Amino acid sequence: MSIIPQLVLNSIIAGAIYTLVTLGFNLIYSTTKFFNLTHGVMAAVGGYAFFFFSKSLGWPVFLGVILGVVFAGLIGFGLDKIVYLPLRKRKASNMVLLVASLGAFTAIQAIIAILFTSQFQTLNMNVGVQKIYEIFGAVITQVQLIILISGLVIMGILALVVKKTILGKSIKAVSDDEEVSKIVGINTDKIISRVFLIGSAIAGLAGILVGFDTGIEPTMGMNLLLKGTIASIVGGVGNIYGGVLGSFLLGFVENFGIWKISGEWKDAIAFGLLIIFLLFRPQGIIKK
Amino acid sequence: MEYIIHLAILFAIYAILGISLDLVVGYTGLLSVTHAAFYGIGAYTTAILLTNFGINFFWSVLLGIAITAVAGFLIGLILSKFDGDYYALASFGFNIIVFAIFLNWQSLTRGPLGIPGIDRPNLSLGIINYEFSSNLSFLVLALLFLIIIYLISKFVVGSSFGRVLKAIREDEGAIKVFGYNTLYYKLTIFVISAGMAAVAGSLFASYITFIDPSTFDLMESIFILAIIILGGLSNNRGAILGAFLLILLPEILRFIGFPTDIAAQMRQVVYGLLLIFLMIYRPQGLVGEYKL
Repeated sequence: MSIIPQLVLNSIIAGAIYTLVTLGFNLIYSTTKFFNLTHGVMAAVGGYAFFFFSKSLGWPVFLGVILGVVFAGLIGFGLDKIVYLPLRKRKASNMVLLVASLGAFTAIQAIIAILFTSQFQTLNMNVGVQKIYEIFGAVITQVQLIILISGLVIMGILALVVKKTILGKSIKAVSDDEEVSKIVGINTDKIISRVFLIGSAIAGLAGILVGFDTGIEPTMGMNLLLKGTIASIVGGVGNIYGGVLGSFLLGFVENFGIWKISGEWKDAIAFGLLIIFLLFRPQGIIKK
Repeated sequence: MEYIIHLAILFAIYAILGISLDLVVGYTGLLSVTHAAFYGIGAYTTAILLTNFGINFFWSVLLGIAITAVAGFLIGLILSKFDGDYYALASFGFNIIVFAIFLNWQSLTRGPLGIPGIDRPNLSLGIINYEFSSNLSFLVLALLFLIIIYLISKFVVGSSFGRVLKAIREDEGAIKVFGYNTLYYKLTIFVISAGMAAVAGSLFASYITFIDPSTFDLMESIFILAIIILGGLSNNRGAILGAFLLILLPEILRFIGFPTDIAAQMRQVVYGLLLIFLMIYRPQGLVGEYKL
């Protein structure tokens, strides 16, 4: 049996996971113009909120997912209000915002570890009896299929929201020029905090889905964040479709990269890709 | 007493790391988050040379500096193409790549198993033969290295070379107009800083006598960054003050009476909140002369 179909499928699944992280990251970056390092840890927040409500308290899965997503969104929203908004008001540089988000990331990750221990947990209720589908000799689990579908659906919804609604148009205006948006009467602070709410909520969903696929641990956020950042830079920072393209490219490069060598090199390969892009095509695949 | 000496040795090692990182972040204004990589290369060089080849510690320090300087040159060359937050992000990447090398080049580094049984430094010059086996003697050695590094750093930033670095930080475009080759300056200071971090790595490897990759991950780079941001950027004494406070902090938390596994996480919470508060209320740190 050839290994190629499985590699292709794995790449697509990885791409879908990265898409979910990148969509929110790109949305936040395009309006605030700084690398929000807390974005990855929002995935951990979502995953652990689900773990608490559905696995510890035994509430229905559906409710747990909604609560996890809402919870991640609210934490993102709160961070913007408490940390980033005061800094923006003071016209702090991107570096200050970056370091502050680094601090928030470290603190939240450790708080999760204190509350839930740093043990690896799986969210799946019935381990081992997952439905499995076969495509061209490659295997995909039901959860992975859901990841793939939700990645595409959320991309569609987000694209629609940005194109058709007033909120979307205001987001676009703020990302083009914050000062001018203010002059024409857009409440930019409100738009940005909404963007944090939406972006973090999507990250929370990503965390829950990853938890169903493999599992959750407090440090999961770093890895997701780094992959999301790489994907969005490779694809073109601040561009929805670019981010999706970058995510799938990263998924393929990573999975084919470890075809012949140990899987431990995945992260190094991902960053290799980033550095190559930064050197030769810093604007990414799709230029904004 | 033994415990205080242990803390003092750690303080000396982190003060060296802080001073060296401050040359790049504080004086030149390049937000590098890859310092643990150089720290690690220095530590691994000493560990491998001492355990496999039986080379003297002091020679291994020199070789460690040389190897790290080469690595620093190559990484600095690529990083010099970026600025601002892209610089920070790319430097993240190099920390991850070097960490992956420590973890996966198993024939050289023994991967996650780490390298045990590293000897303490041994000074043999003619008739003098002294082994720094007691912690007190090691502390003297570590402080000696700290003083040397401090003086070198003080000399560098006080020289005309140092003034150009500060000018690059304030306005790179303007200093270029005056005909300065900024790439040369940025690269040189990056290599010097990497070489100093290697010294800290050598000391660490030979003090703990065991190293494994987990010491040199991204979190360590963030910790070193927190040291100099707390102490204050662009000030050598700030780096020392920051190292002192952040080495002391976990011990205070321990005395408050958290259990060990929670204390470790509590420390991360405090580092994180500290960074946020500093950014909001005092971005120049305690005695800093430059704001990010």
